[in-house]
Amino acid sequence: MFLDPESRWARRLNLILFLLPALTIYIVFAIYPTFSVVEYSFTDWDGISPERDFVGLANYERLFTDKIFWAAFRNTFVWSGVIIVINVGLGLVIAAMLARVWKARLLLQTCIVLPVVISPMAVATIWRWMYQPTGVINQVLEGVGLGGLATPWLGSPDAVLYALALAHSWSTIGLSVVIFLAGLQAVDENLYEAAHVDGANAFQSFRYVTLPALRPVTAVVFILTLTQSFKVFDIVWATTQGGPVRFSEILSTYMYKRGALENQYGYGSAIGVALLVIVSLATVIYMQIQSKEDR
Amino acid sequence: MGRWLLLFVLGVIAILMVSPLILTVFTSFKPTTELVNPPWAPPVSLTYEHYVRVWTEAGFSRYFFNTLVISAVDAVVMIVIASLAAYAMVFMDFRGKLVLRVLFLIGLMIPVTAIVLPLFQIVRGFGLVNTHLGVIFADLALAVSVFVFMFSSYFVGVPKELHEAARIDGATEFQIYRRVVMPIATPAVVTTALLEFLWSWNDLLLRLLLLTRDEMRTLSVGLLNFQGTMTRDVTGLSSGTVIMAIPVVLLFLFFQRHFVRGMTAGAVK
Repeated sequence: MFLDPESRWARRLNLILFLLPALTIYIVFAIYPTFSVVEYSFTDWDGISPERDFVGLANYERLFTDKIFWAAFRNTFVWSGVIIVINVGLGLVIAAMLARVWKARLLLQTCIVLPVVISPMAVATIWRWMYQPTGVINQVLEGVGLGGLATPWLGSPDAVLYALALAHSWSTIGLSVVIFLAGLQAVDENLYEAAHVDGANAFQSFRYVTLPALRPVTAVVFILTLTQSFKVFDIVWATTQGGPVRFSEILSTYMYKRGALENQYGYGSAIGVALLVIVSLATVIYMQIQSKEDR
Repeated sequence: MGRWLLLFVLGVIAILMVSPLILTVFTSFKPTTELVNPPWAPPVSLTYEHYVRVWTEAGFSRYFFNTLVISAVDAVVMIVIASLAAYAMVFMDFRGKLVLRVLFLIGLMIPVTAIVLPLFQIVRGFGLVNTHLGVIFADLALAVSVFVFMFSSYFVGVPKELHEAARIDGATEFQIYRRVVMPIATPAVVTTALLEFLWSWNDLLLRLLLLTRDEMRTLSVGLLNFQGTMTRDVTGLSSGTVIMAIPVVLLFLFFQRHFVRGMTAGAVK
């Protein structure tokens, strides 16, 4: 069957052949579940029985009065806040320092970015071990005379969320550093020259030249870190599963417990929708900033 | 700040960043008798015993093989389907293009975590729970948007004249895709392969839900279970961690530039 390649049918066939594989998989396994999660959230489904009843906003009403949900909600924000402070603040400082170094730059950068490729599961195993009561963190603290700070990090209600956030930051800060570095390379050299001529020292030129020039990049890293940290499941699940009690419970772990482990699909989905809304909003803002930057 | 002070501070940061990995490697090679030494003490007499134990008895060879298959298939198929779709989006004219663009944009916003419950039901509906195919479909669907846009951004740079000339010479769309457009997009191919492989290799949540039979499990789930049952087996856990980390660390060291470019471009996921 030879079709004239310019004919309408040939074009249509081509279009289908090119688009179909990606589109089918995408719609079935990504778009459809996104709508389903909203649909489930209005039902009392247990995930197994063929029947499910529409219960209106009951699951959302339950969310509003569920103390554990609000604890998880608050923990998720605290968790993200800590990670943002580290990844944006420290990430910017490290990138700014790296940008001023030529000797050994590749080696230093490699060491700092390397943890980014380590699986969150492996990160969890490593840090769980380091945070043990007799683990390396406490041993180092005692070694430098700060033994008073030693604590069973992952068993401590006050420390657990921060300890896990630190572990997560360790494995993600390299990404911020890399994005900041790309941004720094785009800063106009002449601005530094001008600042130098005006007698600015290194700190002043950082404060008055680098920071303002990096504002859009900083916004990108900020939102990116926010969305990434909101989605986190692996590292918390593989270390504390939200414990002790609920002190490291975040939205994703709570959703997993209710939905997948306790078969409360309707309620778990409502938690999922909350997560979906927050992350989507942040991503929309992120893309707005990025497209502005591209122009 | 003086140059040397700067180098010193950065050096300290770099050492702090890699030290958790180095300590893990140290522990994985230590004979059990040396565990009383501090973690930062290198092993005095090296032993491979823990690796052998984890690889054979704890089933890590199986997990490794499963992970490798899923990640490799993910990477190869992703290159094909994402580049084909991007080709259609950039070079073909059709109604509903804008709608499709928005549809793919949505994919950049969906957090996997939020939709795993219905995703599990769909995979179950197809009878694909406990199959690698089910995981592969889910992986592809959840990341395809990122790579469609990545390929599109390369394709947009292909000169229209080149494309037109090939068409006038009588080349079919597929020939143009294969011979003209794809060779120009080689960097996107490499980046896609690396990133998709990495994400697939490292994921836990989807695999935890979709693979419950031990012989189907990947390294992430295997390591999680090993940690759950053998909590105090420090040397075994370290070896397992190293086994899981080695392939991606090597890839990173060899292709650092591509990784860095890909991670900044695909940063939305």
